[in-house]
Amino acid sequence: MEFDRRGFLKIAGLTVLGLAAKPGWELFSKVEPQELVPSPETLAKKRWAMSVDLKKCWSVKGCRDCIDACHRIHNVPDLGTLKEEIKWVWTAPYENVFPEHELEYSEEDYRHQPVPLLCNHCDDPPCVRYCPTRATWKREDGIVMMDFHRCIGCRYCMAGCPYGSRSFNWRDPRPFIKKVNLEFPTRTKGVVEKCNFCEERLSRDLLPACVEACKEKALAFGDLKDPESKVRKTLQSRNVFQRQPELGTKPKVYYVL
Amino acid sequence: MVQQEAEMLDKREKIIGEDKILFEHIWKTGKGFYVTVSILGALVLLGLYAYVTQYRNGLTVTGLSRQIFWGVYITNFVFFIGISHAGTFISAVLRVLKAEWRRPISRASELTTVFILLFGVGSVLIDLGRPDRMLYAIRYAHFRSPLLWDVCSITMYLTVSSISLYLALIPDIALLRDLGGKREWFYRILSLGWTGTESQHRRLERAINFMSILVIPVMITVHTVVSFVFAMTIQPLWHSAIFGPYFVVGAIFSGVASVIVVMAVLRKAYHLENYIKPVHFNNIGIFLMAMTLLWFYFTFAEYITIVYGNEPVHMAIFWSKLTGKFAPLFWLHFILCFVVPLPILAVRRFRTIRRIVVASISIILGMWLERFVIIVPTLTKQRMAVEGAFYMPTWVEWSILAGCISLFMLLYTLFTKVFPIVPIWEIREGREKAVRMVSERIESYLPETDVAPQ
Repeated sequence: MEFDRRGFLKIAGLTVLGLAAKPGWELFSKVEPQELVPSPETLAKKRWAMSVDLKKCWSVKGCRDCIDACHRIHNVPDLGTLKEEIKWVWTAPYENVFPEHELEYSEEDYRHQPVPLLCNHCDDPPCVRYCPTRATWKREDGIVMMDFHRCIGCRYCMAGCPYGSRSFNWRDPRPFIKKVNLEFPTRTKGVVEKCNFCEERLSRDLLPACVEACKEKALAFGDLKDPESKVRKTLQSRNVFQRQPELGTKPKVYYVL
Repeated sequence: MVQQEAEMLDKREKIIGEDKILFEHIWKTGKGFYVTVSILGALVLLGLYAYVTQYRNGLTVTGLSRQIFWGVYITNFVFFIGISHAGTFISAVLRVLKAEWRRPISRASELTTVFILLFGVGSVLIDLGRPDRMLYAIRYAHFRSPLLWDVCSITMYLTVSSISLYLALIPDIALLRDLGGKREWFYRILSLGWTGTESQHRRLERAINFMSILVIPVMITVHTVVSFVFAMTIQPLWHSAIFGPYFVVGAIFSGVASVIVVMAVLRKAYHLENYIKPVHFNNIGIFLMAMTLLWFYFTFAEYITIVYGNEPVHMAIFWSKLTGKFAPLFWLHFILCFVVPLPILAVRRFRTIRRIVVASISIILGMWLERFVIIVPTLTKQRMAVEGAFYMPTWVEWSILAGCISLFMLLYTLFTKVFPIVPIWEIREGREKAVRMVSERIESYLPETDVAPQ
């Protein structure tokens, strides 16, 4: 075979391209170590849910115990601006959360009362459908999980979530965390985050931090498949509603009035 | 020696023929070129600087917020992909329809498609929070996500339209090769041994026709799935069944307007008055008028159903556009897309080149705004009234937009330094064969006269 300068350059070029392909691929799709999760069979036995007793919740004005407890243990930064706010649990006025409840003539005026909000851990979570990389998915026990290491930051899940439960890290959040909890990962800039129903605590048989922190016992948490669970008991006898059930997402956070 | 040189000159004369002006922009580099390149280069550097700033600090340097998390970049994505549609549409559809007047403008429009498409893709990547992980979208591809549909169809579109562009370039590259000179080796590789034989022409013709037909459905798919990014969510005023066709119409609308501007610039800068003639502008102008009306029809159909339905969630967004804080932008986009261009394009007397270009620029600006007022208002109130829903793009976003447009123009300019922008072989084919073919075709439409009546 003739081997002139051009032939040599061609082969050399192809070789370089070939050799560069793999490192190039790896550079732009680094694999990061996976976390340990319980097996699907174990998880499928449960269906976690939460109920919020609004009357109990409103008995203490301006209480932020659940929010603070959650944000503290999950390293949620306090950026101090509405623009880049990151929140896992937060409150909004009743009339905004449930605009479909006509309140014009109701006797008790709870229009402006704060309703605690968090990820609804829907049975049919829209956000999961939109994620192009499966960085968010529904676990067998119903928790909508979020992998901070796989999120590419396209924010399509935020467009998909009808409840506004997701926050984006517009900048590096680490300098804005008051005291870092070393048992929970911090996030980098450019990824989405949200409430995880304290799956890291559930695996150690602990209640979610917000439920534990609530002194008025307004929040009840438990397994919907267990008829004796606290959440099932609460849902049995009271007037219960969910946020925007008409969307068919089947939220698993219930509000009791 | 002298004889040899004379022979060379003679050969060159023969190749160039009467189309000297079509080669000239490759050879002659005037002051204008350097000025243009330096201005565009400076703007590209500005955009690059803005992106580096964003890469270092995160998307915090943009005006985006927790509530309005998509803005200029996603607008650019939809807008650039939209522009890209016209090029192929003009050259492929007109080829399939055997419209002879397409010849001088087919390459200019295909090139617009290929180059602007790169910036459509780029805009999404610029918008990513973690661009270093972009290949995760392939590695962990989740095909239920409409974003993956975009990845597939845009890749397909870019491939098909690049191949079309290249195929139609081959005979012209061979001309440049035969002219010799310093870059002969470069043209020799790219010309793939084209000698212009009858069988080569036949094969090229068949390949180009195949690609022209293939690219039409691909083009429609691309903008349909771009609209699906929005339509598949359940956000108010995004979740609309007509978004697919609405976006395709908007894409062709803004794209045709861009091709007109490109044609006018090329005509002026490279003295192509003899090739790109008023008749071309007139014909495309009429088509653009039809698109203006079609765009209005879709916009009307989209909003009238919302108003009549009167659902509070939708109406909140609707009123924010018509009378609320987005009203200035909404009405400006309506004026630019409809009120300004329609009379110019509809009245024959007004359809001069200059006015058609004015109408086109108006449409281009209007369509960018249209994408913006589709994307942003919905995010201000996603089914729940919230505080802090405010968006003002920052210098980073504007600089990146300027950088993208400048880099597009720069690539375009550099392309014309290497390849002819008017397909010389197609012009010659038109001169030599098309007149006969068209008259034969027209004769075939007519009732036969020399057949004896039965």
